[in-house]
Amino acid sequence: MPTLENDHPTQTEIIVTGFGGQGIILAGKILGMSASLGDHKESTLVQAYGPESRGGACNAQVIIADRPIHYPYVQTPIILIAMSQAGYDKFSGQVRKDGTLLIDQDLVPISEAPCPFYGIPATRMAEKLGNKMMANIIMLGFTTAITQVVSIPAAKKTISQSVPKGTEERNIQAFSKGYDYGLSTLKGQERRAAGQPGAIAQ
Amino acid sequence: MKHSSQTKIILFLCNWGAHAAYQTLQDELRAIPDQVHMIRIPCTGRIDRALLLKAFAMGADGVALVGCDPGTCRYGAGTTAAQRNTTDTGKILELLGLGKERVRFATVLPEESEQLLAFLHSFLDDLVRLGPSTIQQQPAVAELELAVDSDQRLQQIIAAHDIHACQDCGKCSSACPLALIGKPFSARGIATAVINGELHQESVRENVWSCLTCGLCYERCPSAVNFPAFIQELRHLYRQKQSQGDESHGGFLHSLMRSMASAELKPKRWQNLPEKLRIDQESTTLFYGGCAPYYDIFFGKHLDVQTEKILFDAIGLLNFFDVFPRLLDDERCCGHDLLCAGDKDHFQKIAALNGERLNNLGITTMITSCPECYQTFKSTYPAQGIELNFEVVHLYDFLEQEIDRSAVRFTPLDRRLTFQDSCRLARLENRAELPRQLLNRLQPASYEEMQDSGRAAICCGNSGWIGCDTYSKAMQVKRLEQVRATKADLLITACPKCQIHLKCAMEDPFRLDTPSVEMLDLTSVIAQTISWK
Repeated sequence: MPTLENDHPTQTEIIVTGFGGQGIILAGKILGMSASLGDHKESTLVQAYGPESRGGACNAQVIIADRPIHYPYVQTPIILIAMSQAGYDKFSGQVRKDGTLLIDQDLVPISEAPCPFYGIPATRMAEKLGNKMMANIIMLGFTTAITQVVSIPAAKKTISQSVPKGTEERNIQAFSKGYDYGLSTLKGQERRAAGQPGAIAQ
Repeated sequence: MKHSSQTKIILFLCNWGAHAAYQTLQDELRAIPDQVHMIRIPCTGRIDRALLLKAFAMGADGVALVGCDPGTCRYGAGTTAAQRNTTDTGKILELLGLGKERVRFATVLPEESEQLLAFLHSFLDDLVRLGPSTIQQQPAVAELELAVDSDQRLQQIIAAHDIHACQDCGKCSSACPLALIGKPFSARGIATAVINGELHQESVRENVWSCLTCGLCYERCPSAVNFPAFIQELRHLYRQKQSQGDESHGGFLHSLMRSMASAELKPKRWQNLPEKLRIDQESTTLFYGGCAPYYDIFFGKHLDVQTEKILFDAIGLLNFFDVFPRLLDDERCCGHDLLCAGDKDHFQKIAALNGERLNNLGITTMITSCPECYQTFKSTYPAQGIELNFEVVHLYDFLEQEIDRSAVRFTPLDRRLTFQDSCRLARLENRAELPRQLLNRLQPASYEEMQDSGRAAICCGNSGWIGCDTYSKAMQVKRLEQVRATKADLLITACPKCQIHLKCAMEDPFRLDTPSVEMLDLTSVIAQTISWK
């Protein structure tokens, strides 16, 4: 168990935002549950109730920490997951400069952001997998690969327990798809940094 | 091991200058080596590359062309042509692992008999030092099978391919690109004639050898008569009766492929591999190249085609996705064209050699970018009883799978595209959708299908390097007209042969009005435009 004497900042603050109906709250819930039940950390979730849960911008605020969390609201997220332009507009000003921004690149078409950002065509990939409701799970896989905020077994186990019965396998597949894409994004960045972005050697 | 007395040198000797020198040697009873088999010819320039290679395919250890000094050729360009042919054939021999020293060109004046004798002796010495050629002499026809009653065999073929199911409805003729271009050719006509016992009539024979085996008739046939397979069997039957089809390009490519049926031949196939490409000879993934480097040497004489570059782009793409494939330096031909030309005997020899070699490599996957290699290894080998213990994957399948799960993008390509389907991939392997999945990922200015596309696409004019004639050329022109109708400025291809054949039509000096369009293989287009996000 982490002790109170541990004064390293071990608290990861996350905001997941998007349209109501995209499964934003579920994504937040899976993140938090994976961290607490799977990875045996502490976590909190604050859901945005109200009219936004019927469409428009909604959000889930998640905190994952190695020690008890005293205040569950997120002011300056270090990870922002944005699946709608409205959500991005609302929260992008709050994200930390050293944070990580993860977007559905088709829904949030930006070319620059206040912090390093990574895009994935999550909704398009989900449609190809047969159900666009799985975009949130793809996004979770992508987030896990880029930020390693939760472990893979914990995420997969929580997903299996959280999604509707009968769709477990497809959702795990969606998670892996997002995860692979995330790894591939990191690899691509390395290649670009090494000056080898294409197939034909420069 | 052959003794030096068994070394065979074929000496092609120009009638004008060189032969006089040779006669002097004979008159003076000089010791011309017994190993030299002299053939007197009108001009060394007329011994084309097909004849040079054929000498090797038939068991020669060395071939010498002796003619006249440049400028003294009676016909003007003979010496230049002979030098070019010798160089090209030397390059091919290098790739085959025989060494370019085995084919030589020399010039002598009539009075230089001593020089001629010295040349022959030094050539013989060199050949003895090199050892015998690893090509075993290839009989034109396997004598064994001739014993089988061909009538009985014909009845078996008719039964096996269910030719009696032909309803004589004519759907095949209405689709056949040869018939549509005006050639007196009929698929159902062949079927009826064969049933009626007219197999050996001249018109039937001509038709059987002209068939493109493109599979369009099979595609349309309501009785599902597999015509391409039937044609291959009939061609095999003809070959057993010593009746050979019209092999294009002087039979050069067939001689090349037959040579590869020799067990001891050890080609050195990957000599031009660029250094920047990474390979790993321990890898369990093999990349199979195919015949492209041979094509480039042979067709480079008239056409500007660089089909080997497609293979390098393919390996570049594998590297891009962190696959560092194994390459077989002694890679042989897959045998596709031999089987297509009815030469089942040599096909089976090559297939057996390939099967044994490949199955012992310990690989799990073979990736190829050639549609013919793909079809042959994936479908034909198992159908002919040669099981492979690894998976055969087309490069496009690999790319589609990798691109689908990777964070890659395609740089916009400011070209108007259209696509020439490969008959083997689109129809015979039923994968017309596969290249299109990749094409859809590109970012061109525009993409438009030709009038006949996908499973209905028409052929590039020839397959298996047989029976190329004016109708083949007319088909190519028709295809290029279809390209022009799409307003495309870049024609994407999926088979090296499509490039060679369509290029031939474009560069035909007798058809200057033929539409010309730049061509690139799909593999190369992807390699040029893909990048990490």
